[in-house]
Amino acid sequence: MFAVSTLIAVSFCIGSYRIEEAERPFLYSVLLWIILTFSALSGLARSFVKEEEAGTIDVLKLSARPQAIFLGKLLFNLTLLGALELIIVPSFILLMAYQINFPGLFIAMIISGGLGLAAGTTIIAAMIARASARGALFSALSFPLLLPLMITAIKGCERAAVGIDTAGWPEVKIAVAYFVIMITMSLFLFPLVWEE
Amino acid sequence: MIYKILLTIWMAVIIVAAFLYTEAATGFPGQTSRILFFHVPQAWVATFSFLLSMIASCMYLAKRHVKTDYLALAAAELGFLFCILATVTGSVFAKATWGSFWNWDPRQTSIIILLMIYGAYFALRSGVPDPERKRVFAGVYSILAFATVPFLVFVVPRITASLHPENTMNPANPGMDAKTLTVFLGSLFAYSGLFVWMLRLRIRILSIEGLKEPKFVNREPDTK
Repeated sequence: MFAVSTLIAVSFCIGSYRIEEAERPFLYSVLLWIILTFSALSGLARSFVKEEEAGTIDVLKLSARPQAIFLGKLLFNLTLLGALELIIVPSFILLMAYQINFPGLFIAMIISGGLGLAAGTTIIAAMIARASARGALFSALSFPLLLPLMITAIKGCERAAVGIDTAGWPEVKIAVAYFVIMITMSLFLFPLVWEE
Repeated sequence: MIYKILLTIWMAVIIVAAFLYTEAATGFPGQTSRILFFHVPQAWVATFSFLLSMIASCMYLAKRHVKTDYLALAAAELGFLFCILATVTGSVFAKATWGSFWNWDPRQTSIIILLMIYGAYFALRSGVPDPERKRVFAGVYSILAFATVPFLVFVVPRITASLHPENTMNPANPGMDAKTLTVFLGSLFAYSGLFVWMLRLRIRILSIEGLKEPKFVNREPDTK
């Protein structure tokens, strides 16, 4: 809901012809990632808080290994993000008349960016479930970790829109590497957070 | 005590020498290159301090000695302080040579993300009431944040070329003359001494504050 209202507000204020032709690919990719990140964060923050509020967390601790729980939550977050991207990205392209010259690269960038976004925030969500002022803390902790990924994703989408052919899609590779490193680190560190 | 008096005198000598003994490097407007004697040691101390904090966090997570967490926190705080100093002095240099205080040079971008990471680290520490849980979470976050640093190194320089002077003012470069090198190394030594002094002081304060901590905490309330 948050995602859709942001999208409508942005689209209403900017319209499809307000920004000059030359500036469009870059500014649109910035806007798209701002909408995606903010709406994703509001949902991702909830993944462990729900267990904490429902009181199911103790049973979970007894019944499954921490790695399994982490991967389960990650899958849930990935599904959530996938659904969000499925709604937001096509409507953004339609509403803003976003011209994309390289749909393959664009789709790969959106998917790999989403993977990185979920991987970087899942363990943070587990931490803030035990803290006070959860919402504010979640954004404050996530943003510094996500910034390199965001910069890469914005760059990648801009290139896809302009149609610059870069051999081997370096931005997608960086985002996938980020995804892999974050998951590896989280699998090591999650048991410490979970057992606290 | 004698250590502190010597350090004060040493620091004063370095400041005087930085302005009077050395000659300004060529290729920079006016006297601006003299910031080398202050900005670079600050940045080095900040980097070392963050590295120390990360290692201490790993040690805490492995062995759970409270002392190592004090070291991690004190090093993070001092690293933050020196990082701000390096940002401000760098910004002054940027204004003098590049024409604006802030222009999103890759160095500036990465330093601001570094400041944000440690700002979040302190926010996390103050957001978790239970002392032991706070220490574990802070350690975990510190390691996670460290894992993203390679991405900054690879990603950020891709955006624009840096204007940061590397070759003319890098001590490893033979282009630096003997006088400059002497004062620079002296300054590095002075800043490191200052860092060790402040670190020990901060750890002592944290240990005394730690005595007030309750030994056993009812862990349920802060989850509600």
